[in-house]
Amino acid sequence: MNDAETPGLESRLITTGVERLALLGRHAEALMQGYTNDQVPLEGLSHTALRKLLSARIVWHPDEQGGLKLTPKVRELIAEMVADEARRHVNADVAEALELIRSLIQSYRDSSSRGDYWQQEQQLLRLRQAVDDMNGRFADAIDSLWQRLNSDFGFVSQLNDKVRENDRAQKQVVRLLDGLALIDFDELIELVGSDGTLRKVLISQLQQQLSQHYTSLREVQHRLIELMARFRRMQARSRLVSGMAAFLREHPGFTPGNYARRSEVPALFNHAAPLTAAGAVALDRAQDMPTLSALLENVPTPLRSAQSVTAARPAEHVEDTLFAARQQALKDDVETFYLNVVDRAEQAPISALDYLNQSELQWPPEIWLFQVIAEHQGLPHSEQRAFHLHQQEERASAFNDVRLIRDVSLGLAV
Amino acid sequence: MSDMSLLPHGPLLERLLAGEFICAVSDESAFKRLQDDATREAIDSYLRPLNRRVASSQEEGVYFLAWRQLDDSARDQLARQLGDTVNSLLPLLEWLQLVQETLGRDSVLSPGDVLKPGELQAKSEDNPSLRERIERLATDSFFGSQSDQLDAQVKQVFKRLREHGYLLQPHGDRQVFLVTGKVDYLLELVRFIRDEEHLPVDDEGEDTQEALL
Repeated sequence: MNDAETPGLESRLITTGVERLALLGRHAEALMQGYTNDQVPLEGLSHTALRKLLSARIVWHPDEQGGLKLTPKVRELIAEMVADEARRHVNADVAEALELIRSLIQSYRDSSSRGDYWQQEQQLLRLRQAVDDMNGRFADAIDSLWQRLNSDFGFVSQLNDKVRENDRAQKQVVRLLDGLALIDFDELIELVGSDGTLRKVLISQLQQQLSQHYTSLREVQHRLIELMARFRRMQARSRLVSGMAAFLREHPGFTPGNYARRSEVPALFNHAAPLTAAGAVALDRAQDMPTLSALLENVPTPLRSAQSVTAARPAEHVEDTLFAARQQALKDDVETFYLNVVDRAEQAPISALDYLNQSELQWPPEIWLFQVIAEHQGLPHSEQRAFHLHQQEERASAFNDVRLIRDVSLGLAV
Repeated sequence: MSDMSLLPHGPLLERLLAGEFICAVSDESAFKRLQDDATREAIDSYLRPLNRRVASSQEEGVYFLAWRQLDDSARDQLARQLGDTVNSLLPLLEWLQLVQETLGRDSVLSPGDVLKPGELQAKSEDNPSLRERIERLATDSFFGSQSDQLDAQVKQVFKRLREHGYLLQPHGDRQVFLVTGKVDYLLELVRFIRDEEHLPVDDEGEDTQEALL
C-alpha cells in the first residue's frame, strides 16, 4: 500500500460514511416501521432514496417477490439502541475476535520490523478497535442480560416464555464464559513480546476489563438461576392447582384418608377449634361504675313509638276443631303410654321414642317428647312421684351449653 | 416456663384463639412477633391449660393454633374439619384458576396480591364462558350464592373468601382485597394430600434446570 494513496482512501471513506449514516436519520420513520412490522414501506421512498438505502446495505430484498426488509446489522443496531431485549443479539463469538487480534498483532509487528511507522500506527488503531469491539461485546451482552433480569423478563408475558427466555439467557452466559476462557493471557504475553504499547492495550487494560466482565457474568448467572427457581416455583404452583382441580373434577367422590385418626396427625391438619373469649358487664367493682353508667347512657334508645293500649289486645284464640282434635288425640296417645308403663310387669323404664316407633304412631318425635314431659308436669304432685322421668340430654356443641333433650324414659318409681 | 409478659400480645392471643391464621399480610407485626421463638414459647405455655399450642405451616408462612394433646374430642373436631376442607378444595382451586385466567396472570395468586372484584367482573362481563364459570362457582354450596346477577355472585364469592381468611379487606368501604398467607397454606394441604394419596398430579416441569454451576 502506498502512503500517499491511503489518506485519500480514508477521506473518501469518511465522506461515504457520513452520507450513509445520514440516510438512517433521513428515513428513520420508514426504517422503524420496517423494524416493528415485517417490511419497510415503499410509499414515500423515491427511486433514488431506495437505491441509496440498498447500496448502503441498510435495506435489502431477500427475494424477488418479497418486500423490502432491514438488513440484520441495522436491525441489530436498532435493537441495541432502544434496548429491545426481545431482539437484542448477544454475540459471544470470541474465537473469531481473537483470531483477528492475533493476525493484527502479527501485522503490527511486521510493520514495526520494517520500520513502516505509518502502517504501524494504522495497525495499532485497528488493533485497539478490535480489542474494544471484543470488550464491547461482553459489555453489551452483560448490559442486555441485566436489562432482562431487572425487568423479570417483562418483555414476554407468559410464564412459559419467561422460563424459555431465562433458559436462553443462561445459555448465553455459558457461551460468554466459555468465550472468556478462550482468552489465554500467556499466549498474548508471548505474542506481544517486549512492546510496551501492545502490552498496555492487550495485557494490563484487557485483563482488568475481562476480569470485571467475568465477575459481572457470574453475578448475572447467579441471579438468573435464582429467578429461574422462582419461575419454576410459580409454574409448580400453577400446575399443582390445575392438576388437582382436574383430578377432583374427574373423581367427584374422592376422599383422602382420615388423617385425624392417625397416631401422628399431620401438623398441617391440626388446626384447633376456635374459642371465643367472651366478657360481660360486671357490677362487682366500684371503680368500674362510672364507666359502666357512661356506657349505659350512651346506649342508643330504640326508636319505637308508643303503642296505644287498644291497639295491642290479646290475640284471639282461634282454635279450629281440627287442631283441637289432633291435640286431644296426642294427649290420649300419651296417656296410653303412661298407662302402658303402669301396666307393664317389668320395672325397667321405657324410652318414649322406642314406644313411639313400636306403636306405629305418626307423631313427630319432638312433639311426642314435648307432650310426654308436659303430661308429667301436668300430673298432681302425688302422682308425679309415682313416676320416674329421666331425660337424656346433651350439650348443643362443645362451646354451646344449651342442653338438647334426645329422649326421655319413663318408669315407675319404686 | 417463660416469664415473658404476654400483656402486649392480648389482641394476638384473641385472634389466634378465634381460629385465625396469622400471616405477614393479615397482621405483619403480630406475624413478626410470632417468628420469635421466645414469644411463641411464652404463648404456648399460656395456652397449655386450653390444650392448644402455636403451630405453623411447613414454610412458616402462617401461624395458627393446634391441639396440644389429641384427645378424642379433638380428633372428632379435626375429622369434621378435614371433611369440610376436602369439600372446599375444588371450589377454591377453581377460583384460583379462574382468577389467574381472567386477569391474565402469570401465576397462581400469592400472599400480598391485590384483587378487585370490579376488575374481575369487568373482564368477565362480555365473556359468556367466564360468566358461566363464575356462576357455576358462585352457586357451589361452598360459596352459596343465590343470585343470578354477575355482580352479586362475584361479591358473594369474595365475601366467603374473606370469611374463610383467604382474603383480607383492609378498608371496609373499599372493594379492594389482599390475598393472605392462607392461600399458601391451602396449597400445602393440596400438595400433602397429593403426596399422601399418591395422586397422579404433577407439578414438575417437563424440562429440568440444567446444572450450570
